[in-house]
Amino acid sequence: MPGVTSRLAAYSQVVLFFGAFLLFWEFGVRYFEVKSYILPPISAIAVAVWEARSEIFENSMYTLAEVLIGFGAAVVVGVMLGMVVYVSPFAQRTIYPLVTALQTTPKSALAPLMIVWFGYGFISKVAMAFLFAFFPIVVATLGGFAGTAKNLEEHFRALNAGPWRTFTTLRLPSALPSFIDGCRVAMPLAMIGAIIGELVGSERGLGNLIMLGTASTRTDLVFGCIIVITLISLALYALIEFAAKSVWWRGIQV
Amino acid sequence: MVSTATAEVPKSGKGLNVAAEPAVNHIEAQGLNKTFGSFKALEDIDFTINNQEFVSVLGPSGCGKSTLLRIVAGLIPYESGSATIKGEKVRAPRPDVGVVFQTNNMLPWLTVRRNVELGARIRNMPADARDAAVDKILDVLSLTKFADAHPHQLSGGMRQRASIGQALVLDPQILLMDEPFGALDALTRDKLNVELLRIWQESRKTVMLITHSIAEAVFLSDRVLVMADRPGKIVEEVTIDLPRPRNAATTRAMPKFGEYVAYLGKVMGVAS
Ligand SMILES: Nc1ncnc2c1ncn2[C@@H]1O[C@H](COP(=O)(O)OP(=O)(O)OP(=O)(O)O)[C@@H](O)[C@H]1O
Ligand SMILES: [Mg+2]
Repeated sequence: MPGVTSRLAAYSQVVLFFGAFLLFWEFGVRYFEVKSYILPPISAIAVAVWEARSEIFENSMYTLAEVLIGFGAAVVVGVMLGMVVYVSPFAQRTIYPLVTALQTTPKSALAPLMIVWFGYGFISKVAMAFLFAFFPIVVATLGGFAGTAKNLEEHFRALNAGPWRTFTTLRLPSALPSFIDGCRVAMPLAMIGAIIGELVGSERGLGNLIMLGTASTRTDLVFGCIIVITLISLALYALIEFAAKSVWWRGIQV
Repeated sequence: MVSTATAEVPKSGKGLNVAAEPAVNHIEAQGLNKTFGSFKALEDIDFTINNQEFVSVLGPSGCGKSTLLRIVAGLIPYESGSATIKGEKVRAPRPDVGVVFQTNNMLPWLTVRRNVELGARIRNMPADARDAAVDKILDVLSLTKFADAHPHQLSGGMRQRASIGQALVLDPQILLMDEPFGALDALTRDKLNVELLRIWQESRKTVMLITHSIAEAVFLSDRVLVMADRPGKIVEEVTIDLPRPRNAATTRAMPKFGEYVAYLGKVMGVAS
């Protein structure tokens, strides 16, 4: 069974690589006597995470909620805007350039403003996640609709298909692969947005925990939070990848 | 398009007179012109295709065959002259006209069955009638076994057959086909020609078939129109006087078959 052995080999390579990396971290830090407030050994980070587990879990859920709601809102509003811009030449001339212009402003610079507008709590972080995730989704949705094969559009015209039927049967499925690509980009961005929001000003969340950890030189806790954020981002990305499997016709041309 | 409105009046009057019985001329073009910007794609196209007649259009690549078909199908506008179907000026796609395009138009995310029944769904055909029609067409096109496959799992020939099925499902009186077998090897093409002939002999539709295969045109058609390019115009019309029903082996073996092929080859050589 060559398939199984080669897969086993691939996995063992990954495990070996990460194992070596962690070992190097653990013992390198000790060997070179790096101060633990600069870079703590990985074991100290693990201990810190374990000791603060309930706090980390609670704050993770808080941040996760911000990300998911911000992302969800970006999907809903982004898809709607993408559709409006696609069907309306007026919107294409007016709203779209405006959105593009807004996109070029660094969104991190908007974080203080969000806090002024929506306060230190939940909503300002949702707004940040939304801002970061929104544009890639608009662009991807629009690209998806615009990329509908011309020959298929003509085919639907020849069949006298109405606009609604053409939309649901042809344009929507045509746009899905591109939309999923947009989500792939937008999901990690939503996390970045929420964390930046929390770093700028917050009462809860993993970003808040990082600020507290920094203030009390708990670098081990800061690293723990960073690792947890990364793991959550990876999990969310995997979720999108899983959803993408149902849009299997990406790139298939017949 | 607008300029022909007055010139057309006597014609539509004639159309009204024969409305009680099946119209004899199903597809007609008169002095048809089409330009793309400054490029003259079609010039003074005149032809008639009668009810239940099988007419092929032969011509070199780029001479405007697809453009002509699109105009007849009501998919693109034209500048002057007229294109009519059953005596009515073509303004938009019609339900009694089925089109098979040069590129096969399968939706990759739908199964073959769903693709074939697409037109029936779009036209809101009742489910029982639709299922019956699709079953029959899949059977006729030998695609029953692949009904649940997706288009990318089919061979090129199967996809072409399925594309024809997409047009046949609505049982249109008039069938416009744009090089439906263009991308296939000669052997598959011959086989599909035989299938197409069988379908036509059973259902007797009015067919306009665009092709660049002389043998295909002669084998299938009652009449062949030959086009030349720059600008696209009809330069020759040949009535194919071979007995029907035709048959793959005997028809192609007739001396007359060879004569038609040779003659059209000569015309095409001159025309292109
Ligand atoms: N939408 C368009 N805009 C501009 N020019 C066009 C357009 N469609 C077709 N043409 C031009 O019109 C001419 C005829 O095109 P058409 O597709 O009708 O040719 P054809 O006879 O079907 O060729 P083929 O056998 O290769 O399919 C070509 O020169 C083509 O470049
Ligand atoms: Mg063509």
